[in-house]
Amino acid sequence: MKQLFAEIHEAWLATQFTGFMSKTQSRQELYEFSNILFKHLTWIENDFIKNEMTYTYDIKHVPIRVTQLSHMVNNIIQRLTAIESQLESCKDEHITFRMRSDLTYMKVALEKLPEEEVASSFNASKNYPNVELSDQEKDALTLFLFEESYKEYELIMVYNYSKANSNDAFLNRIFQILIDESFFHLRSFGQMMSEMGILGVPRSLMEEIYKFDDLEQFLKDGIQEEIGAKEECQKLAAAVSDSSEHFAAFFTFINNQENYHIALMEEALAYINNK
Amino acid sequence: MTADAHLIEHMMNPKNYGKMEENDAIGMGKNPQNGEKVAIYLKVNYQDDPRIEDISFQAIGCTTTIVAGSIITSEAKGIHFSRAEELVSTTLGMLDNQTPEDAACTEMVALALKAALDTYAQKQKDPEFPMISYHINTDCTPQEALSEEA
Repeated sequence: MKQLFAEIHEAWLATQFTGFMSKTQSRQELYEFSNILFKHLTWIENDFIKNEMTYTYDIKHVPIRVTQLSHMVNNIIQRLTAIESQLESCKDEHITFRMRSDLTYMKVALEKLPEEEVASSFNASKNYPNVELSDQEKDALTLFLFEESYKEYELIMVYNYSKANSNDAFLNRIFQILIDESFFHLRSFGQMMSEMGILGVPRSLMEEIYKFDDLEQFLKDGIQEEIGAKEECQKLAAAVSDSSEHFAAFFTFINNQENYHIALMEEALAYINNK
Repeated sequence: MTADAHLIEHMMNPKNYGKMEENDAIGMGKNPQNGEKVAIYLKVNYQDDPRIEDISFQAIGCTTTIVAGSIITSEAKGIHFSRAEELVSTTLGMLDNQTPEDAACTEMVALALKAALDTYAQKQKDPEFPMISYHINTDCTPQEALSEEA
């Protein structure tokens, strides 16, 4: 079942990042399917926890560099077929029935997605359509997007692990909001990376990142990291404000969203300290 | 760090990234300032001068650390230990040419490789010898932050 778990995780990332490559309505469909695969991941994870089995988020590298969308779509279909063939390793028939039904539908729907040229997602141009940036601004933005896309993936998995392993309704509400927020940021940054030709799937997580002992310290560190991210957004907004009103507004928006994340983490911290 | 095409390639597809379950030695490089760390895993082909048959790394760190890990492990793959020791020395000798942030990341990877080589050597004498960790010496505080503090 651990292999099944890892392969669902890899299929989720492959589907999500293929969504970033698409510039048509296929993007939304791929986003929906990646949501379904993420949900499957949480079902298997809950089964591990219910059966007191240990598990990790270790995965293999997910290669996505292709020239045509169909190459990735075929790859995803193969991944889903491999998942189907391993469903019996999960002994909960309700889970496997639902998964099989989803997988069958997704494979049929994926086959119907129209072809698209997607080579520009990997050409390392660092150009953003209709935006003039200096070489220095392009480098700063490139580094920011690699750092933050990894960070958002990390946060999704960290909060997901915390939520899966906690029965505390108050904390779980906060963890779920933070997961949703990180998904939104990951998608915003992933789309930008695709536009700039620098799309890549984040590296796998070291186990100690999500299996931490001290939630209080994790939240304190998280608040500091959010403050750091805010500063980066402010710097980028200032750097691109002359050349792109759109980018400056985007980074100001992200900067302000970080305030909400900090408030949520402070709320969780206060709750833990008052318990 | 600038983001030229060569470095972007390492960011998009880091080489040799991931845990190696069946390893002969693991080494760790740590930055005590911020808790960042790099683990290097070695699979060794034992000879008089052992050779790095396979190598991988994992990191809790920034993109610069991942790029440094990707480059250094690519250079280390397939070489003998004596040459790998030279690679560590050469890398550590070039830190002055980098910004403090980049130098700290590079040092962490180079020390992780040194720790893995040293762990392997110790394990030949005592198979239970634990993984060695080395701490970096470079202060990775950005220069602009230091001038603000002053």
